[in-house]
Amino acid sequence: MSLDHPNKVEQRRPDWAALVIAAVLVAIAAVIYLDASRLREVTGYSPVGPATVPGAVAVVLLGLAIWTVIAAFRGDFPERERQEVGPVVWIVGGLAAQMLLLNTAGFSIATGVLFAATAAGFGRRKLWISLPLGIVLCLVVWLIFAGLLQLSLPAGPLEQLFL
Amino acid sequence: MKHVFIASLIAGSIALPAFAADYTIMAPAAPGGGWDQTARTLQTALQQEGISKNVQVVNVPGAGGTIGLAQFASQQKGKANALIVGGYVMVGAILTNKAPVTLKEVTPIARLTGEYEAIVVPASSNIKSVADLVDALKKNPGAVSWGGGSAGGVDHIAAGLIAKAAGVDPTKINYIAFSGGGEALAAILGSQVTVGISSYGEFESQVKSGTLRLLAVSSDQRIAGIDAPTLKEAGLNVVVQNWRMVAAPPGLTAEQKAAVTADVEKLAKSKTWQEALKTKGWQDTYLAGPAFEEQLAKDVAATETVLKDIGLVK
Amino acid sequence: MSTFDFLLQGLLVAAQPMNLLYALIGVTLGTAVGVLPGIGPALTVALLLPVTYRLDPAGSLIMFAGIYYGGMYGGSTTSILLNTPGESSSIVTALEGNKMARNGRGGPALATAAIGSFVAGLIATIGLAFIAPAIVKLALVFGPREYFALMVLAFVTVSSAFGDSTLRGLTSLFIGLALALIGIDQLTGQTRLAFEVPDLLDGIEVTTLAVAMFAIGETLFIAAQGNTGPDKVEAVKGSLWMTAADWARSWKPWLRGTIIGFPIGAMPAGGAEIGTFLSYATEKRLTKHPEEFGNGAIEGVAGPEAANNASAAGTLVPLLTLGLPTTATAAIMLAGFQQYGLQPGPLLFATNPQLVWGLIASLLIANFMLLVLNLPLIGLWVRLLTIPKPWLYAGILLFATLGTIGANPSVFELGMLLAFGVMGYMMRVFGYPIAPVVVGLILGPLAEQQLRRALAISQGDFTVLVTSPIAAVLLAIAALALIVPLILRARGRGEVLGQLAASED
Repeated sequence: MSLDHPNKVEQRRPDWAALVIAAVLVAIAAVIYLDASRLREVTGYSPVGPATVPGAVAVVLLGLAIWTVIAAFRGDFPERERQEVGPVVWIVGGLAAQMLLLNTAGFSIATGVLFAATAAGFGRRKLWISLPLGIVLCLVVWLIFAGLLQLSLPAGPLEQLFL
Repeated sequence: MKHVFIASLIAGSIALPAFAADYTIMAPAAPGGGWDQTARTLQTALQQEGISKNVQVVNVPGAGGTIGLAQFASQQKGKANALIVGGYVMVGAILTNKAPVTLKEVTPIARLTGEYEAIVVPASSNIKSVADLVDALKKNPGAVSWGGGSAGGVDHIAAGLIAKAAGVDPTKINYIAFSGGGEALAAILGSQVTVGISSYGEFESQVKSGTLRLLAVSSDQRIAGIDAPTLKEAGLNVVVQNWRMVAAPPGLTAEQKAAVTADVEKLAKSKTWQEALKTKGWQDTYLAGPAFEEQLAKDVAATETVLKDIGLVK
Repeated sequence: MSTFDFLLQGLLVAAQPMNLLYALIGVTLGTAVGVLPGIGPALTVALLLPVTYRLDPAGSLIMFAGIYYGGMYGGSTTSILLNTPGESSSIVTALEGNKMARNGRGGPALATAAIGSFVAGLIATIGLAFIAPAIVKLALVFGPREYFALMVLAFVTVSSAFGDSTLRGLTSLFIGLALALIGIDQLTGQTRLAFEVPDLLDGIEVTTLAVAMFAIGETLFIAAQGNTGPDKVEAVKGSLWMTAADWARSWKPWLRGTIIGFPIGAMPAGGAEIGTFLSYATEKRLTKHPEEFGNGAIEGVAGPEAANNASAAGTLVPLLTLGLPTTATAAIMLAGFQQYGLQPGPLLFATNPQLVWGLIASLLIANFMLLVLNLPLIGLWVRLLTIPKPWLYAGILLFATLGTIGANPSVFELGMLLAFGVMGYMMRVFGYPIAPVVVGLILGPLAEQQLRRALAISQGDFTVLVTSPIAAVLLAIAALALIVPLILRARGRGEVLGQLAASED
């Protein structure tokens, strides 16, 4: 796919997203380097200590960041398809909700919310159908895995009814 | 028997068992490890002996048990039906990880089982006794590589104690940490390292078949059925036991603590538990009450000293 | 009695109708739990082991063997159909398998995985029975420096086999290596990059990263395409079953995968996933259809799946002959064996032949049952793809998070799942390959630790790394794999260049 870039001919404008990626790589390299520099070198008998490999990874990441910048200016990055933000927000929101609800509302309700949010992300926005469906499905899953197989899945008010 | 099983599967899928758990046992490790097995054996024994009708096991893995311990101390406070399995490994892990929650924050109930460390060399090694090992250490500590479990763990601590007792600088030991006893055993069998140090159980079948030579064990007295001197007999004053215990949450009343202790004692004396110990090859080192608390305090202090000596804790 | 008599007797016991039923139940349970993303064979066996305690020894051994093989196999189904590998050893399967499923070739992909697993399991189990002592000797020769050389080889072969851009492939790999640094350094006990967060002390769980980057990243990416594509995937295009061409292209990868996977599984520090990586790289080099790699090449499913199952049997070699559990799964199995009065170790084959051969016979039967169960189910599994997208992906996220919560019910772990999921999505958007990140996370710590162990044992002498013949040979192969393509490219040999184009650019 990298053989013909449609935008190559047009102009040589830097790819801003790629520059952001390069910046992120530099930041990761900096964090690793700072963290490694505070390690005590209790290396014992090996000349390669606990800080050596982190240092090497940081240096290579820095090199890759420079390479990324060069590639960005040469327009070597593949063209990206248009992304829709709405569905991503729905699903990320569903995952976040599940995470926050898990210990208070229990597995079924929390994961039911995730189920409904994911379906909404794919265009099924009728929450009054998908939410109850998700919760019931998750409850069945909970009964099988927590009940029969003794997997420890958090119980909430709904699961308490079956305890 | 088979019909019972199939019937129970079917019954289980129709009417789910009521799980009002009398006791909840936390295993602060992933399924499969020593603590998990201890917790699950406790679960079976408590139920079969009728001490508790229903017991649930919860796994909270991570960082030598310190994550589970922290969660247990904060979430189960004052609950007389919660237990956590733990052990000597936690003592070292708390110190090296600078864990905010220590064993002082829970109520230790009893020590249940323990394993002793064994010091082995490959059968082809020219080290024949502890005295040979000490000589080699004194000559050049770097040339004696020790194969054992993770850094700062029981094996590492025991190696440090041995060096110290032999009059060798513990920071100079060449300890090679492996992930778990299995990988260390392979390195010892392949003569990749000079000497191996780990729980006796890890080496037992190799010692019996003659591929490894057992130099000494770290117990106080000789163990029945093991043909090797103790480190003490060999002139090194080192006793290390990798014990496992149960503890209750903080904030229990004296009566609650007594009730839990009574339950655990009943279990430790029960036939089911004793049989389980035998099939698993665990030593019964039951110790409860003030005697256990005293031992625990001593272990914590000694561990802290040796970890500082090795240079793992400042 | 001779070896054959014991095996025959074991097979006769295992082939009794009731025992066959137990094998079927075991395989079904193992597959059902193993199929969940995030629940690997270790947890599957741990969860289901108590079920076997209620049976007589023969029956429980057979059911146990079924659970083990079922759990090992389960992950490949979701990898192929849904691009959500449940454990590290089925990541490679997803690369080509899912592309096949998207092209309506899910049936042949599942079939070659199932039959490849069967063939590999069969050969490896027989290998376990007859050449275990020889294999174990070879495995013990491997010390830290030999493992280090093996890891170098794995890095070189794997990195050339992923992605279509060197820059982005390397970046992915090094992001994985950076993540691998997090946690307690095993050799000195110091914490690296954990920032005082206790949950990070044990480092990043491979399954969490894999499930997040594949299952969640994939879901987000598909969702972000909007409702442009069709609501359903066309599940079956052409034949549901493997065609003659598929057979012809599969049987050699099966055998090669077995040969690669079995010894690596037998090595105390090998690990099933390394065998799958090497098998994939091998198939990619040897294939006559290089243009299909990356778009659904059947060899890329057949080889790694065979390697995966062969290494599962390989794990039993050190376990039975040395009493050496080399994986979490093996440690749990050791506990299980003790329940049956089986004490693994060097004396096992001599003192307890009935039980050993009973176990080997059980493994053979379980392996066969796996095939019996899975071949007819392929039609049903493929139909999974016809579930409308909203419900299909909602279900995938349900099971992906279920696996993570079940393995470790912590909010922090779910947070990491979300964060890595978003990262996986972003990487897809910008054309970065996903697999190298997971590869880096798995291989990074192994390579680093073995290097440092080797140097500590030698007290700082670097020459030990090349003075062992095995290590020297492995490093030489790695150097050739790195240099030869560069030379060929410099000479501009058209034909070879064309073949390499898929992997280099």
